[in-house]
Amino acid sequence: MTASAMRSSADNVSSNTDAVLRALADPQRRQMLRLVRNDEVPAGEIAAHFEITQQAVSQHLRVLKRAGLVSERREGTRRLYALRPEALEPVRAVLEEFWPAALDRLKLIVEANKENDQRG
Amino acid sequence: MDDRSSLAPLCFETRIDATREEIFPYLIESSLITQWLFGNSAELLPEPGGAFVVNTDEMQVRGEYLVVEPPHRVSFTWGIVGNTELPAGSTTVEITLTAEGEGTLVQLLHRDVPSNRREDHAAGWVACLDRLSHAAGR
Repeated sequence: MTASAMRSSADNVSSNTDAVLRALADPQRRQMLRLVRNDEVPAGEIAAHFEITQQAVSQHLRVLKRAGLVSERREGTRRLYALRPEALEPVRAVLEEFWPAALDRLKLIVEANKENDQRG
Repeated sequence: MDDRSSLAPLCFETRIDATREEIFPYLIESSLITQWLFGNSAELLPEPGGAFVVNTDEMQVRGEYLVVEPPHRVSFTWGIVGNTELPAGSTTVEITLTAEGEGTLVQLLHRDVPSNRREDHAAGWVACLDRLSHAAGR
C-alpha cells in the first residue's frame, strides 16, 4: 500500500467512525474505556475513578454509548457499561492490509537494488 | 496494567533473496526505509531510545527504537501523531531477519494493536510463534 493508499484507508475508517474518533479524542473517555474493557462496570463505580461530577461522567458515557464504544444495560436502578471493542476494529483492518504490502515492497526493492549492484 | 498487552500481535513474514546484511540497512536508514514503508522523509536514530519518525504530507508516524541488533533484529514503537486510536508510540513493531540458505526469512510482529478478535488472532499468534521458534532453533 502506498502512503496515499494508507491515507485513503484511514479516510475510509474515519468516515465510517467519525463518532468513534470524536469520542476517543478525550483522555477521560479513553480512561473510562479502559475501566470497562474486561467487565461490565456500574456507572457509580466508573465515576469513583474521576474527580468530575457524576453528571459529567454520565455525559461522557452517553458520548461513548452513541459512538457504539460501550454497551449499556440496566439492572434495577444501576446502569452497567461494557466495552464494545468491535468499534475499534477498522484500525486493525488497515494495518492487516498495510504490512503485507510493505513487506512485498521491501522484497522487490532489496532484490532489485541487489541486481543493479551486481551489474555494477 | 494495560489491557492491550494481552492482545495477539499481527504477524507477517516474507522471504527475500538477499543476505541479512543487505536487508538490515533498509530498517535503519532514512533514505532506504521510505522506499518500502511509506512517506517522503524519515528521521531515524537507530539506537535504543532513538527516534523513529516517518513523515508523509498528511501524517506522521512516530515512535522510538527499542532494539537495534544488526544484522538480525530491530524493534520500535509505532503510532500516528494525533490519531486517538493509534497514538504515537502506542504499539510495537519487531522485525527479525533469519538466514535461510542464500536468502533471508523476514518476520514482522506488530504488538498491542487494538482488536476485538482476540480468539481469532490467538490461533494466528500460536502459528507465528511456532514458526519463530522453529527458525530460531535451526
